[in-house]
Amino acid sequence: MSDDIGDGTGFGDGPDVEEELLEEELRQAASLLDPVPPALLQSAVDAFALRDLETRVAELTFDSLVDAIPVRGAAAAPRMLTFSAGETVLDVELTDEGLIGQVLPPAPARIDILTGPYPAATAEADDMGRFTSTVTPSGPFALRLHTTDETVMTEWLRA
Amino acid sequence: MTIGTIPSAAYHDVPYTRGGTVERSEVGALVRSAVDGDAAAWKAIVEGLGPLVWSVVRAHRLSDADAHEVYQTVWFRFTQHLDRIREPEKAGSWLASTARHECLKVHRQARRLVLTDDPHVLDTVSQDGEPEQTLLETEEAAAQGERVRRLWQAFEELGGRCRQLLRVLIASPPPSYQEVSAALDIAVGSIGPMRQRCLRRLRARLEARGTV
Repeated sequence: MSDDIGDGTGFGDGPDVEEELLEEELRQAASLLDPVPPALLQSAVDAFALRDLETRVAELTFDSLVDAIPVRGAAAAPRMLTFSAGETVLDVELTDEGLIGQVLPPAPARIDILTGPYPAATAEADDMGRFTSTVTPSGPFALRLHTTDETVMTEWLRA
Repeated sequence: MTIGTIPSAAYHDVPYTRGGTVERSEVGALVRSAVDGDAAAWKAIVEGLGPLVWSVVRAHRLSDADAHEVYQTVWFRFTQHLDRIREPEKAGSWLASTARHECLKVHRQARRLVLTDDPHVLDTVSQDGEPEQTLLETEEAAAQGERVRRLWQAFEELGGRCRQLLRVLIASPPPSYQEVSAALDIAVGSIGPMRQRCLRRLRARLEARGTV
């Protein structure tokens, strides 16, 4: 059961060739035993519908997971995120109870909470730009902000 | 080149070249068509580079749930990046690097939640992917299946860096060294020698077990 490696049939038998064959065999094993799950493949294909050319993207400029110094004993510290698109800034805090945020400069706005192609929830920002939701995103999520002037969407993140 | 009519199986007909020049020029064209709204080109990108993204996620030993979330997040984000992409032929490197960053965040998050740096916590064993049973219908297939399983087991037992590098290298179609570099944050020049060392180590293990 091992005659397909290292016997040099038709390939020469230099060590590089052997490695090439082993790598290729491993590649086939991966395709067989650990392929991209079909549902994930489909989800990525379907994601093309998420494209929205009218919407500006707010980039992640702060993520407490990366940018904050971990505090010992503060295991339940909320995840703090800041997104920026030009002068529009969106501060978001994810807790076990839900999501708290603020739009700057402060202005009323509608905020869609997305976990896939369709909004999972909607929140309204008050005059101070503050908003809350009892939805705690888990997995991929993004926020889409509708102000009177424009629509801004945050980069997709994993909550 | 004619774009928009590229079949989803475009990658399977492309000859294998280490460094992937053929596939990767193809990727640039596909990305440009997807930017123009061509859903078939997008599908071809997902099929051609999805296995690379999955390999990067698997190389980082996430739990299945985390792996699924990271995979989706990477593709969702790519829909936003598509229209701003400056070097379409480097889409694979962008995807690999984005996947890596999201994987590292998962590790950070896990570490904070359990307040430990114990690496075993991050070594959650995968439950995905044992769909090979259906292939074992004939004896010949059974013997082949057994061989594949032993090979995979020996691979899984390789040390951290070797397993990680090989898991990315064995994406199908094979990634370019630039993509591997982006996936693991290692210099392009060190990939070749490390690959050789790791494959030799794997072979030695197989030989020790009489599998080769």
